[in-house]
Amino acid sequence: MNVALAILWKDLVSEWRSRDRVVAMLIFSILMAVVFHFALPDQDPEALRALTPGLLWTAYLFAALLGLNRSFALELENDALGGLALAPGNRGWIFLGKAAANWVLISIVQVLTAGVFAVFYRVDLLPGLTGLASVVGLGTLGICAAGTLLAAMAVRTGFREVLLPVLLLPALFPILAGAVQGSMAAVAGRPVPFESLQLLFVIDGVYLIVAFLGFDYVLDE
Amino acid sequence: MKPGNETAPNPEADIPSPLEARMSRWRRPLGIVLGLLTIGYAWSVVSAPIDHTQGVIQKILYVHPPLAYGAYLGFVITGFAGMVFLGRGREDLDRLAIASAEVGVIFCTLMLVTGPIWARGTWGVWWSWDARLTVTLLLWFVYLAYLLLRGFGGRNPRTARFAAIYGVLGLVLIPLNYYVIEIFGSRSMHPENLKQGSLGDGMGLPFLLGNLALAGAFFYLLLLRWEVESQRAREDDQGSEARVGGPRAPKD
Repeated sequence: MNVALAILWKDLVSEWRSRDRVVAMLIFSILMAVVFHFALPDQDPEALRALTPGLLWTAYLFAALLGLNRSFALELENDALGGLALAPGNRGWIFLGKAAANWVLISIVQVLTAGVFAVFYRVDLLPGLTGLASVVGLGTLGICAAGTLLAAMAVRTGFREVLLPVLLLPALFPILAGAVQGSMAAVAGRPVPFESLQLLFVIDGVYLIVAFLGFDYVLDE
Repeated sequence: MKPGNETAPNPEADIPSPLEARMSRWRRPLGIVLGLLTIGYAWSVVSAPIDHTQGVIQKILYVHPPLAYGAYLGFVITGFAGMVFLGRGREDLDRLAIASAEVGVIFCTLMLVTGPIWARGTWGVWWSWDARLTVTLLLWFVYLAYLLLRGFGGRNPRTARFAAIYGVLGLVLIPLNYYVIEIFGSRSMHPENLKQGSLGDGMGLPFLLGNLALAGAFFYLLLLRWEVESQRAREDDQGSEARVGGPRAPKD
């Protein structure tokens, strides 16, 4: 447990000092909002509002891929990953620390991105904010669980930037299905359907368990 | 004990392993049975009656579901073989996982090709986001990614471990995807089940033979691919011995 907290703290401090990952993800997300404007021209504002949750999640997904790809890049320098593998205790805690750091950083970007989307697409997110926040928080937890595990694998193959999306996206479709349904309800001012939250809980649990156990073999040298 | 760093002699590290040697003896007889089955299968499909409503295109039935069973079987074997490899360091089962993933992808690809042809003929569209279609497409992507991971990572114990973890993740995704679809209730255009007697007169035999022949083809290809993989591993092994000039060199 202490290992997880130490790694979480280390990742947050190093990100605070450089701020490169959050800034890159944020700029990318804003660019996505602009891309959607050109990809869906001349939409009537009402229709666009209905599409916003889906667009928002598309931006979240790709921004998260960007951030996850970098989450182990730093650890390759001076073989820091090898050093981590030598740390005593269950390596699952290393995974949890990394995943928690990813979750925090991606969540920061998501909050800011949601604001940008609200302004660009004239959607009032405030009424359904708690529902939206819980869906996004849970969905991102699943993304970080699978993403951290797969990023640790992808970073040590020859084609890391290419491989992570190919590995990760198929695993994220169930999360996307639940998260978009939940977000649509929240944005429309309806209560988030119980099924969405239930689905996200189940997937988060399954991915966290698989990744916690699997991480031992990822770092194993 | 983790794969790749065991020091105790491991009887399963022989290439081919006892299991591989035993299984490869089955390949030739299976090939003969498969050849005979194929003749019967082809004859029965040709002589099967033509469906009243769907016409001749209904004969895809004798190929399409058996391909689906093969695809799922391949993915399940990949997942479980990977699990045993991770837990016990059985390299022969890692080779089985590769073989099974490749054969599974072939079956899945053929299913995804035959499906739209049938769909165009009966539903009028090439593709619908039907529950089973969606799940199968996602699984196809998972196992394509699995093969890419194998390809990009190269042939080493580390890639084998990564692939095994990914295979287990793929195995978890099968029920998870069905769960998603059950919750969000995408209406299925596939029949729920082939109930007893839901096939017309004279359609049972070709369907049965189709299942047997394609199951035979699945296992034949699986054994063949497994053999190839174990021969490759032996070549690698002998290569490293020759370079180091001693008994088997530690890998990675």
